[in-house]
Amino acid sequence: MSKAQKLATDVLILGAGPTGLYGAYYAGFRGLSTIVVDVLPQVGGQVMALYPEKQIRDVAGLPSIRGRDFIAALKEQADAFSPTYLLGRQAVTVEHSSDAAVVTLDDGTRIEAGAVVITAGIGTPKPRPLQAGSQWLDRGLSYFVVDPEVHRDQDVVIVGGGDSALDWADALSTLATSVTLVHRRSGFRGHAATLARVESSPNTTVLTECEVTAFDGDLANGQLQKVTVTHTSGEERLVAADHVIAALGFISDIGPLRTWGLQLAGRSIQVDRSMRTNVPRVYAAGDVADFDGKVRLMSVGFGEVATAVNHVAVELDPDLNLFPGHSTDES
Amino acid sequence: MAYVIGPDCTDILDRSCIDVCPVDCIYVGERKSYINGNECIDCGACEVECPVEAIVVDRVAKKNPKFSPYLTDQESFFHDILPGRDAPLGDPNGATALGPVGVDTPLVAALPSNQ
Ligand SMILES: Cc1cc2nc3c(=O)[nH]c(=O)nc-3n(C[C@H](O)[C@H](O)[C@H](O)COP(=O)(O)OP(=O)(O)OC[C@H]3O[C@@H](n4cnc5c(N)ncnc54)[C@H](O)[C@@H]3O)c2cc1C
Ligand code: SF4
Ligand code: SF4
Repeated sequence: MSKAQKLATDVLILGAGPTGLYGAYYAGFRGLSTIVVDVLPQVGGQVMALYPEKQIRDVAGLPSIRGRDFIAALKEQADAFSPTYLLGRQAVTVEHSSDAAVVTLDDGTRIEAGAVVITAGIGTPKPRPLQAGSQWLDRGLSYFVVDPEVHRDQDVVIVGGGDSALDWADALSTLATSVTLVHRRSGFRGHAATLARVESSPNTTVLTECEVTAFDGDLANGQLQKVTVTHTSGEERLVAADHVIAALGFISDIGPLRTWGLQLAGRSIQVDRSMRTNVPRVYAAGDVADFDGKVRLMSVGFGEVATAVNHVAVELDPDLNLFPGHSTDES
Repeated sequence: MAYVIGPDCTDILDRSCIDVCPVDCIYVGERKSYINGNECIDCGACEVECPVEAIVVDRVAKKNPKFSPYLTDQESFFHDILPGRDAPLGDPNGATALGPVGVDTPLVAALPSNQ
């Protein structure tokens, strides 16, 4: 917490997906200072996370554009006004002072904002939990390999069938005493070449159509000893394990925003026609915003976030017009 | 819009689709899985994972007589009261937390064995 920054801005844009990037441009265009926060290390939301190479064909004025090129163009447009990007950090809580909403990020940074525009899309991806070992989380169970060295000379069990599971099994095979890769299905989703390397590694065992069903060890001291692996036939076996790494994919949810007092419908935030939420100084736009008749498309999100930012501009300075003027006026 | 799981999932239920769904909106009944159309973000990740090609997008399902009944059946799984329960599932917002529902719609329960 000692390094934690304290920042102030007119607008805080929460989420750097397409909606948030366009919102950052728009806030700059309205003369507002802008901070953009995203939990992911890169901008571009779902487009960069799920389909960077696909062609997008339904954005006005762009007959066909590759996902990553579209995001680069949105960023370039926003950067004309030099917003501050705080990436790799999640917005966690909001408090209210008399003239600002104060948002705290997971690294302790506090941002005092005249208004917050939530463009959180489908939310933050979190690792899918391994139910059987939930009490062992951060003791003998983890969802990532942060530092492979930690697993030197350990018996490691890796659960999953995608690229992460295979990559980690591959990377740890030369460090760990043993690696057991456990996957629920017979086939792997990850790269065939990595799988071939994993299968031929002398200290690696691959168990398919199997699940980790129980953890056993000294929980109080965080000393995992073994896990039970159950085959779809019901046959069980015990596998030595100092550590289990579960790579079961990610589930996105708006997570911490659930505690902000917002009116929610499932994963979405209810807004009025000005894109205001029920919480003072907090607006929402794009996939995360919900109202009667909502259509979840980028072209709709762009309109919503422009609406939100224009209302923010007036809320912050009642002397301003709601209508921004035309962008062509400046040239 | 949403993706739809057709009858070929019945008794196969290998859950590959569930592993890849980024919003955890594929729910397990007893013999078959069902996608919650309000929660699905139409990403298509599940479609390519299914080993028996049981999943299609609703636009395709509407025009295909094999799939079209499962469009309404999938809605009924969430919006009607399932046998043995006293309220509809609604939009549970996460299949992992809910766990297997353990019961199917009457249409699916009546299907012949698919093994
Ligand atoms: C495969 C696929 C194809 C698609 N094709 C099209 C198409 O052709 N045309 C179209 O219009 N739409 C398409 N869409 C939908 C489109 O991608 C979404 O509508 C769009 O990404 C929504 O943008 P957004 O900025 O509102 O949200 P998102 O793109 O979801 O971005 C939200 C961002 O907020 C961040 N965030 C969330 N919570 C927090 C927090 N608490 N703290 C910090 N950061 C946070 C997330 O990390 C994310 O980066 C497609 C979607 C998919 C999955
Ligand atoms: S299309 Fe995507 S969001 Fe919808 S059920 Fe399939 S994986 Fe889940
Ligand atoms: S992958 Fe196919 S068969 Fe398996 S649960 Fe999903 S829809 Fe059913």
